[in-house]
Amino acid sequence: MPNTAMKKKVLLMGKSGSGKTSMRSIIFANYIARDTRRLGATIDVEHSHVRFLGNLVLNLWDCGGQDTFMENYFTSQRDNIFRNVEVLIYVFDVESRELEKDMHYYQSCLEAILQNSPDAKIFCLVHKMDLVQEDQRDLIFKEREEDLRRLSRPLECACFRTSIWDETLYKAWSSIVYQLIPNVQQLEMNLRNFAQIIEADEVLLFERATFLVISHYQCREQRDVHRFEKISNIIKQFKLSCSKLAASFQSMEVRNSNFAAFIDIFTSNTYVMVVMSDPSIPSAATLINIRNARKHFEKLERVDGPKHSLLMR
Amino acid sequence: MANVDDRHDLISEVDHEVNPGPMNIQFDSSDLRSKRPFYIEPTNIVNVNDVIQRVSDHASALNKRIHYYSRLSTPADTALIAPDHVVPAPEECYVYSPLGSAYKLQSYTEGHGKNTSLVTIFMIWNTMMGTSILSIPWGIKQAGFTTGMCVILLMGLLTLYCCYRVVKSRSMICSLNTTTWEYPDVCRYYFGSFGQWSSLLCSLVSLIGAMIVYWVLMSNFLFNTGKFIFNFIHHINDTDTLLRINNSNPVICPSAGSGGHPDNDSMAFYTNDTEVQQFEKWWSRSRTVPFYLVGLLLPLLNFKSPSFFSKFNILGTVSVIYLIFLVTLKAIQLGFHLEFHWFVPTEFFVPEIRFQFPQLTGVLTLAFFIHNCIITLLKNNKNQENNVRDLCIAYMLVTLTYLYIGVLVFASFPSPPLSKECIEQNFLDNFPSSDILSFVGRIFLLFQIMTVYPLLGYLARVQLLGHLFGDIYPSVFHVLVLNVIIVGAGVVMACFYPNIGGIIRYSGAACGLAFVFIYPSLIYIISLHQEERLTWPKLILHVFIIILGLANLIAQFFM
Repeated sequence: MPNTAMKKKVLLMGKSGSGKTSMRSIIFANYIARDTRRLGATIDVEHSHVRFLGNLVLNLWDCGGQDTFMENYFTSQRDNIFRNVEVLIYVFDVESRELEKDMHYYQSCLEAILQNSPDAKIFCLVHKMDLVQEDQRDLIFKEREEDLRRLSRPLECACFRTSIWDETLYKAWSSIVYQLIPNVQQLEMNLRNFAQIIEADEVLLFERATFLVISHYQCREQRDVHRFEKISNIIKQFKLSCSKLAASFQSMEVRNSNFAAFIDIFTSNTYVMVVMSDPSIPSAATLINIRNARKHFEKLERVDGPKHSLLMR
Repeated sequence: MANVDDRHDLISEVDHEVNPGPMNIQFDSSDLRSKRPFYIEPTNIVNVNDVIQRVSDHASALNKRIHYYSRLSTPADTALIAPDHVVPAPEECYVYSPLGSAYKLQSYTEGHGKNTSLVTIFMIWNTMMGTSILSIPWGIKQAGFTTGMCVILLMGLLTLYCCYRVVKSRSMICSLNTTTWEYPDVCRYYFGSFGQWSSLLCSLVSLIGAMIVYWVLMSNFLFNTGKFIFNFIHHINDTDTLLRINNSNPVICPSAGSGGHPDNDSMAFYTNDTEVQQFEKWWSRSRTVPFYLVGLLLPLLNFKSPSFFSKFNILGTVSVIYLIFLVTLKAIQLGFHLEFHWFVPTEFFVPEIRFQFPQLTGVLTLAFFIHNCIITLLKNNKNQENNVRDLCIAYMLVTLTYLYIGVLVFASFPSPPLSKECIEQNFLDNFPSSDILSFVGRIFLLFQIMTVYPLLGYLARVQLLGHLFGDIYPSVFHVLVLNVIIVGAGVVMACFYPNIGGIIRYSGAACGLAFVFIYPSLIYIISLHQEERLTWPKLILHVFIIILGLANLIAQFFM
């Protein structure tokens, strides 16, 4: 039985230079503190002290540096690294010239996972897809996906193609987060009820640290399919500005003659965004509704069994 | 929605001072990619009801992404700057004015400027034309006429090839983004901090050498101007105590009467006028005038930003054109006096081939020197593929200008009464201070040098203090000490060794050794070796160029 109080890890691994630091910075809205064009492999594990989906901590590792010293260190610390892992996200650079080597390191990571945390979920990201020509992207991704699926047996891995310059990164991480939520269907049903009760156009549930959309309900067709990522980016940008003033973002209300939108803290791990297209409803009413719903949803989270420790405090 | 766009108030911004080169200040704009304009959503500006879909959702999402990513890193970090293949092409970008209109951007590309080939060629010519033009006739005299002409042509070709190597050096580096690099950055890439320090040192040698030459010249011109004005006011005709031609086109040989030092003045010989004696005492070329300049120029050197002086850049061109006109006129008046004696000097003529020709090569190294700022000058060329062609044309024009002035002055120097050995290191010294045409020329040059001097001082200060202290203006005290040292060197030279030809050839050979001969060749050899394309002929040729550079420097001390 896993100890629910201990922090579980999300491992973000991949070859040096595959884009992990940029990815982490973009998803978690951290400043890239130094030049990402590092000349050597990461020797230290990089912890981000972010509560991600409850009690998860993100660890970032460089895998397969040129240094034999690096490899030895890696193998001696292996058990330490791969214990208590909830999620393994492995990043492949699509432009890499050393496919054999990449696969080799990937497989050794999988072995370690099999030994130490056999229940972990595996996700593979084929990254920097913007550098591949558009007409070849599907083909190349399919090839890689087949190879990875084959190599990962008996473990199951889910593959995504990503690039920081289009919506694929956001979608991939949203899917990952979506799969990590155990009772997502129930959550969505409750969200729909909530939305219909308060007569909202759309209700979104965001993960707190990354503003990735966990679930949403919309009662009308919305025009912009990229709106989730855009809202996420806008709010993360705002959070960055707030943090410079040593302030933290809590809630926001946006209103004009056509609509009103409310972004507020919801449960301990989520934010909610409510979009009302009837601006005549006073803000206070919607805010009271949100407050009441909060209690309900928190109960929902706590109801989950001890095995699914993700959303527990 | 809170629009927090004034983050610049909260981050401490690093001040980037761009330093392009000694002769031509251009304050370069920083990397254009990080400042690319993009689509501003009209929904932020106009009434949301009549929003017309002007841009695709895809582009709008990309815009938000780019905004967000730009907040995650410093402006200097290029990791999260959108690469060209994800951003819409410049033709598809509109700049949206809050007043409701939208206009298309004029197409721009990375680092390419708007200068036509003609402007680029002119700028290169203008930057290379320095006051070393005044020493070319003397150099030809030192080398012999035929040898001199051949040496000018060959040096032009050699420095042109090395300049071509400099321009091509960045393209051999594939792994890094070199668009904002100047040649010292390339040196640092190949040679580490040794490369950086040595290129700094050579750059400083050339700058300070130039500043010392300028001080000597300024003292000279100011002295002659003052003397002309004094003579004009008091109607004094200083005549025939010096060796000269007795007609309406006077040419003098200042060194003949006083054993090599042209600063003993004529008037002390023949007049008892106390006024003139007083004037002589207080207005002496090597004793007092250099000090008067200190009061004028030392304050100018302490200015933080010399952009005011860069407005006078055009004076340089005017001066050179005037010199060409002056030389042509004098040649027409004096006629040609050439005789060809191959190895033996005669009373009035010098041999065609002399062993002092390294003195000419030393002068020419500085005369053809543009290697530390050629990359910046060519960056603004509109058609980058014409860079090499424009460089060759510019070098050809410079060579022609030098040849023209050198040959004309040498050939028209009136040799039967005066010996060719009389040609001074500054050929204007061969005209007496009463000559109107050269008086005007001296005034032009005096003003031009006075405006370039603070610019050079600024560059020297930026490079030296910037590297030593990290700050280009650490305190008034530091800057003052540096300026006093530089000015002091100029004053000392003006008093005791006012031979501009000598100063030019020593400093030219020294700094040219690194930038012109050694670095371009060595870097080319190393980059070829890394790409495994190095062949024996290329290796031998470039090692030969390095040896030539070394020989050039060593010969300055022996010939």
